[in-house]
Amino acid sequence: MSGTSNSQKDQITTSQTAVMVINYMLGAGILTLPRTMVEAAKTPDVWISILISGTIILASGWIIVKLCSRFQGQTLFQFLPEITGRAIAMLISILVISYFLAISAFEIRIMAETGFYLLEGTPSWAIVMTFMWIGLYLILGGVSCLSRLYEIILPITLVFFLIAILLSSRIFDIDHLRPVLGSGITPVLKGIKPSLLSFTGYEIMLVALAYMKNQGKANKAMIAGVTVPVVIYLITVIMVIGGLSINGLEKRTWPTLDLMRSFEVQGLIFERFESLLLVIWIMQIFSTFTVTHYAASLGWSQMFNRNFRPFVFAMLPVIYLIAMVPKDINQVFNLGDMFGNVSVYLFGGVPLILLFVSILRKKGAKPE
Amino acid sequence: MWSILMTFIPSWKLIAQAFLLLAVPVLMILMSKVIRKSVVNTFALKPDSPSPPETEIGLANVPITGTYDSDIVTVRNAIGDQADVLIREIVISGTETRVAIVFLEGLTDSDLIDSHLITPLIHRGVPEEDRSSFHDSLSAYLTERLIPASDIKKSSDFQALVEGILFGQTGVLVEGLQEVLLIGTAKGKSRSLEEPMSEALLRGPRTGFTERISDNTGLLRRHGENGSLTLTKFQIGSRVKKILILAYMRDIADPNLVDEVTSRIQRIDIDDPIESGYIEQLIEDNVLSPFQQMQNTERPDRVIAGLLEGRVAILLDGTPFALVLPVTFSMLLQSPEDYYERWLPGSFMRLLRFLAALLALLAPALYISFISFHPGLIPTKLALSIIENRQGVPFPSFIEALIMEISIEILREAGIRLPKPIGPAMGIVGGLIIGDAAVNAGIVSPFLVIVVAVTAISSFTIPVYSAGLTLRILRFTGMFCAATLGLFGVVMFFLLICSHLVRLKSFGVPYVTPIVPYGFSDWKDLFVRVPLKIMKMRPVMFNAKDKDRRN
Repeated sequence: MSGTSNSQKDQITTSQTAVMVINYMLGAGILTLPRTMVEAAKTPDVWISILISGTIILASGWIIVKLCSRFQGQTLFQFLPEITGRAIAMLISILVISYFLAISAFEIRIMAETGFYLLEGTPSWAIVMTFMWIGLYLILGGVSCLSRLYEIILPITLVFFLIAILLSSRIFDIDHLRPVLGSGITPVLKGIKPSLLSFTGYEIMLVALAYMKNQGKANKAMIAGVTVPVVIYLITVIMVIGGLSINGLEKRTWPTLDLMRSFEVQGLIFERFESLLLVIWIMQIFSTFTVTHYAASLGWSQMFNRNFRPFVFAMLPVIYLIAMVPKDINQVFNLGDMFGNVSVYLFGGVPLILLFVSILRKKGAKPE
Repeated sequence: MWSILMTFIPSWKLIAQAFLLLAVPVLMILMSKVIRKSVVNTFALKPDSPSPPETEIGLANVPITGTYDSDIVTVRNAIGDQADVLIREIVISGTETRVAIVFLEGLTDSDLIDSHLITPLIHRGVPEEDRSSFHDSLSAYLTERLIPASDIKKSSDFQALVEGILFGQTGVLVEGLQEVLLIGTAKGKSRSLEEPMSEALLRGPRTGFTERISDNTGLLRRHGENGSLTLTKFQIGSRVKKILILAYMRDIADPNLVDEVTSRIQRIDIDDPIESGYIEQLIEDNVLSPFQQMQNTERPDRVIAGLLEGRVAILLDGTPFALVLPVTFSMLLQSPEDYYERWLPGSFMRLLRFLAALLALLAPALYISFISFHPGLIPTKLALSIIENRQGVPFPSFIEALIMEISIEILREAGIRLPKPIGPAMGIVGGLIIGDAAVNAGIVSPFLVIVVAVTAISSFTIPVYSAGLTLRILRFTGMFCAATLGLFGVVMFFLLICSHLVRLKSFGVPYVTPIVPYGFSDWKDLFVRVPLKIMKMRPVMFNAKDKDRRN
């Protein structure tokens, strides 16, 4: 394996790593999160589930950081064979790559669905192709370009999102959130699983950590990268439930968008926010798509020790075809749930095992 | 089971789409590669073997004989037919030595020739006591005792003589001397220091560079006593040779940057770099980018400020525009005034410029997408009044906006060419009357006129004129995107530009620094210009040798 030199110049700072994790997490999930959680838990207390699952995610993120910092400057695909041997490494790598591809395709499909919502009459392939081509152009620039772009779009999306969601406070009713823990702790625990799904994204550290300029600060980046989405999700869920009540949002496909639609603000430049939010959120979907596309292509190239660019091109049609497999929006959501479940085992369980194995077999350097 | 699986196999249509998805970018990448390759090959940076220059005057290595009559014939044959060559033949008083003075009319200082060459030779001549020894050491006697000029060179072949004369030196052919004296009498006309036209300031120095490089380097030196200002001289141009000066601060600028710029300058291969724009285009990183990768300026204070940040500047003879590099996007929106005014107004103006740049880029695109695709997004009353006003307009909003944008671009272009006295008048006629008439005739809506006017004014707030041009070009792209895909198209356009910007580099410095990566030390001088007392360090991005600004 072509050891420690992951092209010295293509490096990212600690804040860029954190932003990358944040941008990956904040994808299409936020548009549906309140519904999936309320469907599972049937209680307004789901915001507690978010806090709990945030902590869980921090723990598994910590494991990933621990694992990766034993192999300075190497990505998962490069150090796996050292831990497990070639065959198993190949298997895990292909699993991880397929997972990244699937997430990428999932975002593309959500894009196609909501894009239709935004542009009636435009064929969805036209929307999706523009989207993917721009992504391709960006990815060819490498990891430093990706992270620079994420840093540009993160403040824009966050500011717009926070303004929009906080403006909905005019229809916010605290009674919709009461009573706290009225139906006990069990429903809260049921809500953990769907919220875990929307926290998928920390796994990018398996790849990103290798490119960090200061790898000792990986934990810091991880904490920042998880905390910001927790806060955003918390605000979203509280505002959506407070605005629509749990009965009101169960039947809605995109509850966050519906919240935006259910109020108008006079005297601002914009009166209605749902399309505005959607348009802004396209940038977040873009970042999730590009980072997974990048990770998948990088996985192939490092697995076979080949040039990176051909794989980026080759993955384009693959992602597109996977994205178009589900026949309707429900299948898409089911698929999304499935990926979430896979992610819990793949990135919650496997790294832990790998960490143990690498400690037992004394592989990799002990982090100081 | 099989039939369920079958339903998941993509249809031919999907496969065709997937193929299209792959084929288009591959073709585009190939195309850009071909273009880039041909551009790079035909010009500088990696020149293909150039054809050897042909010299017309076949005088190489023809020695000066010292026989006056034959020498003068040779000179006449070589350059006698040039209209501005004057040959004045005199005799040194007190001897019978004939002398020919050859010089160019218009390029030489005739006062100097009269008073310091002809007067001593004809008037004073050689005194009695020296006449015997005069012929023995002719050349030394002339230069040491007779001709009171500071810049005298000697040459023994015709090639150097002819070239020297054509560059403004005065050639002195002396009977019996196998050398020729070249006296530096060149005096080109140059204009006085004026306020730069393209970068006017209310507060700040009023001097701008001129076309003469010695004036410009003088301006940099005169800015203040400064031991570390280094001016390196290059001669570029294979047919017309020009002086290019690379200026930097020896103990601030990153040596790697200086080396990189030097090597790129040395690889320039062109007959005549007419303006510094030639240099810019021959050494830039990305030829296909719409963004400039060097900052051009007429202001010495701006160049000095750049040098103190650890950047380097290129000055070329014959143009008042210096290049400062590397440059990043945010620098194109900065004006020296931001620093000369106090920090609050400075920051305000800077924020205003960022807003203006955004408007100049996106305002018409947003108008098109709101009117044609999402009228529901803007307040109902506004939407209603716009639609009411647009009732008589026969075109879709895209065509409407295109008409107005193109006419305002034509007006702007015409405004540059128009003679000064009628320029403002034509601007008023064009802007006000045509705009008003277009609304009355029902071709465009009044709201659009507001949008276009605001856009046009915004694009003039950008302190670097050529950066304004970039935004103008991109504005049209944005309008196309908005017309095809609405607000989604605008976002895609924005993402495309951002993707391009994050990939672009100017001499190794990413174009979007210091906006990203997040670094609070460089943000002090980005959207807000913090008080000078806080800006203690030089920008990190240029990797300056001396990081502390107080040194």
